This record gives sequence, C-alpha cells and structure tokens, in this order.
Amino acid sequence: MPLKRALLLAPLLLTLFLLQSYFWVPTYEKQSVGNPERLVTYIEGSIGDAKILNPILHADTASATIVNHVFDGLLDLDENLNLRGRLATHWTISEKAYLLVNPDNRFPDGVEVTGERLLARIRRALKDGVLSEAASNILSIELLPPERQTHTFSLDEKAGTSGTREVDVTLTIPERLRFTLREVDQDFFKRLVPIIGDRYLLHFPYERYMEFPDGLTSEQKTHLHARVAEYLPVAEHNPEILFFLRKGVKFHDGHEFDAGDVKFTYEAIMNPKNLSPRTSDFEPIKYIDILDPYTVRVVYKRLFSPAINAWTMGILPEHLLNDEAMQREMDRRGLSEAARAAFGMRDSEFNRHPIGTGRFRFIEWHSDEFIHLERFEDYWEGPAEFKHYYMRIIPDLLTQEVEFRAGAVDYYGAQPHQVARYKKDPRYQSFSTLGFGYTYIGYNNRRPLFADPEVRRALGMAINVDEIITYLLYGEGERITGPYPKNTPWYDHSVQPLPYDPAGARRLLEERGWTLNADGWLEKDGKIFEFNLITNNGNPIRKNILTIAQNAWKKIGVKCNTQLFEWAVFLKDFVNTGEFDAVVLGWSMGIDPDLYQIWHSSQAGPQQLNFVGYNNPKADDLIVRIRREYNREVQQALAHQLHRLIYEDQPYTFLYAPLSTAVLDKKIVLVYHEPDGTERYEKIYPTKSGNIYFHFGRWRKLAFTPEF
Amino acid sequence: MWAFIGRNLVLRIALLFVVSVLIHTIIHIAPGEPSQVDPSNPRMKPEDIAKIRAAFHLDDPLYLQYAYWLTDLLTGELKSFKDNQPVLGKIWRRFLNSLPLFVCTTLLVWTLAFPVGIHAAVTRGSMFDRTSTFLAYAMISFPGFVLAYILILEIVQFFEIPVIGLRTFGMESASSLFKFMDRIWHLVLPAFVGALGGIAVLSRYVRSQMLEVVNQDYIRTARAKGLEEDTVIYRHALRNALLPFITMFGLLLPGLVGGSVIFETIFAWPGLGRLGFEAILSRDFPVILTLNVFGAALTLVGTFVSDVLYAVADPRIRLE
Repeated sequence: MPLKRALLLAPLLLTLFLLQSYFWVPTYEKQSVGNPERLVTYIEGSIGDAKILNPILHADTASATIVNHVFDGLLDLDENLNLRGRLATHWTISEKAYLLVNPDNRFPDGVEVTGERLLARIRRALKDGVLSEAASNILSIELLPPERQTHTFSLDEKAGTSGTREVDVTLTIPERLRFTLREVDQDFFKRLVPIIGDRYLLHFPYERYMEFPDGLTSEQKTHLHARVAEYLPVAEHNPEILFFLRKGVKFHDGHEFDAGDVKFTYEAIMNPKNLSPRTSDFEPIKYIDILDPYTVRVVYKRLFSPAINAWTMGILPEHLLNDEAMQREMDRRGLSEAARAAFGMRDSEFNRHPIGTGRFRFIEWHSDEFIHLERFEDYWEGPAEFKHYYMRIIPDLLTQEVEFRAGAVDYYGAQPHQVARYKKDPRYQSFSTLGFGYTYIGYNNRRPLFADPEVRRALGMAINVDEIITYLLYGEGERITGPYPKNTPWYDHSVQPLPYDPAGARRLLEERGWTLNADGWLEKDGKIFEFNLITNNGNPIRKNILTIAQNAWKKIGVKCNTQLFEWAVFLKDFVNTGEFDAVVLGWSMGIDPDLYQIWHSSQAGPQQLNFVGYNNPKADDLIVRIRREYNREVQQALAHQLHRLIYEDQPYTFLYAPLSTAVLDKKIVLVYHEPDGTERYEKIYPTKSGNIYFHFGRWRKLAFTPEF
Repeated sequence: MWAFIGRNLVLRIALLFVVSVLIHTIIHIAPGEPSQVDPSNPRMKPEDIAKIRAAFHLDDPLYLQYAYWLTDLLTGELKSFKDNQPVLGKIWRRFLNSLPLFVCTTLLVWTLAFPVGIHAAVTRGSMFDRTSTFLAYAMISFPGFVLAYILILEIVQFFEIPVIGLRTFGMESASSLFKFMDRIWHLVLPAFVGALGGIAVLSRYVRSQMLEVVNQDYIRTARAKGLEEDTVIYRHALRNALLPFITMFGLLLPGLVGGSVIFETIFAWPGLGRLGFEAILSRDFPVILTLNVFGAALTLVGTFVSDVLYAVADPRIRLE
C-alpha cells in the first residue's frame, strides 16, 4: 500500500536526513581548542536583545553594552571614577558671570547705579584690594551695551486643552557687566556685596523691559514674567567648558572626527523629532560654539556641576546622520510623504548599523541571535586584544549555563547561588563587586511617630543588618551608612554603621516616653507604637527583610504590620502619594554627588523622589551648594558633610549595598606588551569602582590556564 | 458553494475586525507600559517619557490609537515601539526562521502519528497498542520543556556538540555545505521535542477514530471482497476516519505565526514565538497586535479551508 509506505518512509527519511547532519557539526572541543580564532573572540551571553544601537537613543542594558564598545564619549570615568579624557584630550572649566545694571537701585552710599559707575567702582575696589577673594579669579570685566532681543517662550494652554502656544516676547536687555572668571565661583556675586549692597540682587523691574504680543491674559503675562526672570536673572552664572579634542581620531568608516560631530550630537539630542531620552541631561547647555575643528566651547545656563558627566555619552558621526544623509536615506528607502514628515533619527537604519569611533566596529546583528563586533584596527588607543566581540542572545538561564560550561560563551550574568558553585571550580575566576545601588527602610518623616530622629535611630539599632547580609545575600553585600554609593569618593567611610543594640534601642525609646505595657508593646499617651511596613511584590529579598524587621522590632516592643503590593499599585497608591508609614526599597544611584531629587525638601511632593519627606534646611543648603560647586575637593568635603548629616538624621535605616557577581573563564587575562616584544599576563581585577571591564581592551583568552 | 464562500468571507472579515478591536482593547487595558516609556527605568526622565508617549500616541483615546494602528498597518508603515523597525519586516524575517522548524515538526507529526495510531487501533490490546498508549500518555503528561532541558544537557555532555540556536557559533568561515548541514543539525532537537508531543496527541486521535471505523460493516465487506489488509485499512477505513483531522489540519495554520514560545526560548531560536513573547514583555503594542491579528486571520482562513475541504472529502456534506 503506497500510502502506508509513504507515511512510514517520509518521517524515516526526514529523520535520517536530520540526524546525519550530526557528522558535519564541529564539537565544542573543535570550536574552542582547535580554532585559534576562538582565543581572540569574546562571547557574552545576554538574556535580551539590544533594541537601538544609538548612544543618544538607547535606554536598555543590552544596547548600552554594545554602544559603549562602538562609540566613545568626550570623557569617561577612570579607575577611581574621576573624569578622564577620551575624544577630548583635556578640558578647562571657567565662567562668564553677568550682572544686570539696575538703575532703580542705589549704591550703599546712596548714589544712583549706572553701568559706568558700577564698572568703575568694581575696578577701584579690585585695585584697592577690597575684593581680595574675587580679585585673583577675575580675568576681565566688560560693560555690555543694551540690546533688543526677541525670545520665544512656549505657554501651556489653559487646562483642558493640550498643546502649547508659542509667544514671542521682545526683551530690551539693559546694560550688563560681564565678568570673565578663571574658575567657577558660586559665591561670586556675594563677594560683590560690599560694592553693590546686599539688596541689589533681590529685585529687578522686568515689566519695564518686556513687550508682549496682543491678546494675552494677565495670568499668562504673570507667567511669562516669571519665565523671563528665569531666562534673564539679575545675576547669571554661565559656566563654560572648553573641550580640546583629540586629533586624528577616525570613525569606523575612515571619516575624521572633529568638533562638528560634537555640536551635531548635542543638536541631535535636543531635536524634538529624535525623541532622545537624554534631553534633560543636556538641557542645562545654553549653546555650543566651535572655536576651531578641535576646540569646542560649551556654555551652560546656570551652575550645575554634574552636567559635565553627560559628555561621557558616545559621539555620533555628523556626516552619516545630518539632514542630507537623512534625505538620502529616505530617498533610498522610497518612503511615503507621511513617513518622511515624521522621519527622525529613531527611524534611521543607522541604529542597526552603528558607526562610531569606539574600540570595536559593528559588523552584523541577527535579531535575537547575536551581535557581532570586530576590533577597530585604527583605534586611537591602539587595537584591542580580542579580535571579535559577540553578544549572543540566549534567553534561557539554564541554556546559558550549558553554553558557558561548554565554552561557547565567555560571560553571562550568573546568579549569586551559581557563583557560589563556580567559586569552587578551578577553571573559573569569579568577582563580587560593589555597584551603585543600596537597599534601605524609609520612614515617612511627616508622620508624628517618626518625626524624631532618635526614634528612627532606635528602630535602626534594633535590626541586625549583618545577619541579613549573611543569610539573605549569601554574604554578597556590604553595610552602608549613608546616601552615596560606597565606591564613590562622596561616601564618607569614617561614618560608622549603627550598632546592633536592641537594649540601647529600647533605652532610647524609653527616654522618649515610650513604656512597655502589659501586652509587651511600647505605649505612650495611651497609644501603642504601631505602624505598617510595606514593599513591592516580586522581590524575595525585600519580602524577607519585612519579616526580619518585623521580628526585630517586636523584640523591643514595637508593633509592625507588613504587607506586599504589586509594583504599580505600590508606587501609585503609597509611595507617590506619601500615604505610607515605612517602606523597604532600594536606589540605584549615579556617579555624581547631586542628591537634589532624592533628599531636597522641595522634592517631597507627590510623584517626587523624596517621598519620605526628609526636610532639613542644613541638608538643603548643602545639596544646593554641592550641585553648584565645580571644585572636586570642595565638593567631596561638602558631600561628606551631607553624608554625616543624613546619617545623623536617620531618615532611612540604611541597610546594605548588594554586590554584583560575575564569572569568567580563568584563561581570560589582561595582556601587557613589553618593549622587548614579549607578553606579560595579569589577572583581571575590578577597579575601585567595581568595574571589571575597565581594561577590556587588554583582555584576551590564553590557550592555557595561567597561574597567578 | 460560491454563495457559501462569499458569505463566509464577509462574515469572517467582520469577525476579524471585532477580534482586532478586542485584542487592541485587552492589550491596552492590561497593566504595564511600553519599555520605551517605562517610568521605572532609571535612564529615563519624566519629561522625555512624556515626549515619547506623545509621539507613540499613547495618551490619545483608544479608538484613535486603534485607527492609527490600522492605517499604519494597511500602509505598511507600522513601526515597533521597541526599536522603530517596520513591524511587517520584523515579522517576515522571524517567520522565515520559524518556518523550517514548523515544516519539520508538522511533517513528523502528520506522517508518524497515522501509522502508529492505525496500527494500535487495528491490533487493539496487543503489546504494541499498550506500549504506544503508555508512551503517548507519558509524552502528553511529561512537560516538554523538562524533556528539552534533559536532552540538551545529555547531548551536550555526551556528544559535546552545540544544540541551541539557529546555527553553531563561529562557523562563518566554513564552506556552505557545512553551514547548511549545521543549520539542519540545529533543527533536530527542537523539531523532535516539538514533534513528540504532537505525535502523542495525534496518534491517540487516529487510534480512537480508527477504532470507530474498523468494526463497520463496509470494512467487513472490504475484507470479504478479499482485499489486502493494508488496502482495507488505509483506503477504506482511513478515509472514513479522516474527517475530524481536516478540522485539526485547518487549525495548524495559526501555528505558523504562533511559533512555540517555550521551545524557541529554551533553544534560543529567534522565531516568531519569541518575537511575540518579547513584544509582550516590553509591551510593544504594534507587534503584539499585528501578530495576534495575523494569528486570528490564519485561524479564520484555516477553519474556512477545512469547511471547504469537508465538502471535498465527504460527498455527503453540502455547503449552502
């Protein structure tokens, strides 16, 4: 019967055909040992695929990894998290300070203010040594003539209608004094007080200098008034960064990198069509000037020292992404009119074939399979040791481990319990390094129960954090005492963690009038010490912390009820509204010392990050000074003060910073080339900041396992 | 017949519209935000998120969002929220990846299940019947992903040979014959693991259908005519047992866009199932919607084809 035969033969033949392919496939052994290319190939396993390979657009970890290999920023962070020149060889920071001449004002001696008089008095004071602190910093002073300027402000339409209205306001900018300062000085105008008087900076009659178009309500005028005051402050600091660019740096297509690319990258971010998620990082920039092909001047609107960190972002090639290039791409792809109108950098094919100046150049990307990079032989710092870089997308943790153990993947994000296993295996090297995150218990400082710092301290002293680290984190964590990541210079290591001292905690609370009642709970004025501790669902460690804290507090007579909420509900109903007693949460911090969003009292409103409602005027003052300070040493001293201040207030019980873990084949080492042509190998080590990839350019796989 | 086809077509298009509206609503009601505008992503600032939301029309009323999706889909300008790639191109490339797996699995299932099921039915109660029943139920109850893991671990350990992915890593320089065979090898495990469950289920259906048929009078008549046993079974009995399988065959079509999420994830196979799965994880609405609507369309086409095939296979059925 032919049908029967067909039904049996077809699968048999298919199976045979499928199985015979076994003989054509190289074994792992052949791939790794028999293939010298494998030793210069680095394969990283990743759970998820990259999304968009463009330094100004990406917002996910996989894309960031690739983008960092393909693109260079002007700066990056060195081993100690200090800024270091990359595409910029070096940079200088100076300041232009502007002071509006206010004819309504009088000098302290009663003489009316004019531009000429102001200038003359300051010059005289400088000569007489009255302004000794400012004198050495001032390079020049000029009096700028008045000028007329039309500036466009966008006004939000009345409630109910979305959209904005553009309003042109004509400003008559009065005479101004322009000071060129050697370095940024946030107290510069304060130093001028002996001459201009202490009320000079307070008020300026803007209304006399503005002309509105017709048809504005008085409400809108008041609003515009505030906007103009913001745009044209009486005293304005304009920090300036001069970047000196590296000469002879080439993009992967051979085109030379210059100042135009820097300016273009900035403009691309600010172009609303491109929908860049980095606009807020670059918003403080007033404008960018190209002084010559290798010198760029970046002028900032106001004092905001963390803004320079934005320049660690990769620089785009102008010649491949400017308007003409975009036009060419649209023509080539034959896009429709509608598509052309909305076409932005997000739509460009560049994001799947990126070209940068980085150590590796992009070769190919098979979606959800792998991304292949190859070392850039003309890299300005010399070519990398690895010739190929692959990111393999393996979505399953177990198959990742299978491939890793078989040697077909060099690195994958091993879980802490897996790392514990690898630690015993002589074939692998493992790393536990500090990151930028920490976990804490945050108390709602607005609640009368938690208003007293001593009460918060007592609660913290009742919890045995070391036990949490040992048993919950398998030891992969470190104690912390304050708001900064432990591996940054802002963290003050001299601050000692709270001792674990339940008896002391009880004493503190008793001093505050809390006494044990018959049921074993602390009681004051007929109320027992009771509150709710909540966190989000889906994080087992946080869930366990709830129980541990509950139990620890029960021992000192504090009644704590715990509850878990789904993440969206947790944020929407509790954290964002401030309707909670205490939460267990974590932060992932940046590398700059700016704590404005998390700790400044102005940021304690709904949806804002200071949801515990921390409010200390001294801390507010420090926070503002830190973000306006450009001298790193001063900044560090201020940050240490702030750290101690927050520690003393204990608005959070700072628990621990988790360690991140990584496992590598021991054959991967750092390679150094000696002058005599030999090679020296060193063990890979994490930098102070906890980064094991810092010397990735030197990594290579050896044919043997070295001993160190 | 033609009137039936015409009427059916109109009905199904209307149904497709309703389904697409439903899917659209469900996706948007479900919690979570597209990853590009995820408020809990520390790399994103609220201002930037608001801007991107506006560009994706995420704050517009649902019916408008539906209209945007539909017009974009029809003009072929639909773009993924995740990476701004054209959705249709993405789906097409993944479809090509999933196709060989689909073809192999389907071929294995729809060929092997029949002889196994038929033999079990004909020799009911025999050793073969009991073994195959046992194995089939074992395969049905044993979770496929566990089997996949076990096979991967064993094969990697025993043969020291790569099994996951579309191809072996680092074979760029090999000759094209080697590359081709390598691709074939990588089909083996996922195809077999995927087929096992299918064979188990389908052979059970075949067996029970055949059991109903083999005791009919016309089978006895056929045997009495002196026909060969194979002819009796495979021509006279099988034809009459085939009807339910036409429906099942029609329902195969949506599998073309469904792929297999679990096996594709375990085997790191960049197919449609994973595309859909990752799209759901990152709330990539355009991709989820389009895939679902294609799935719905293929289901409708599949059932339509099987309706028509009924009439072809069984002269007693008339389409009116």
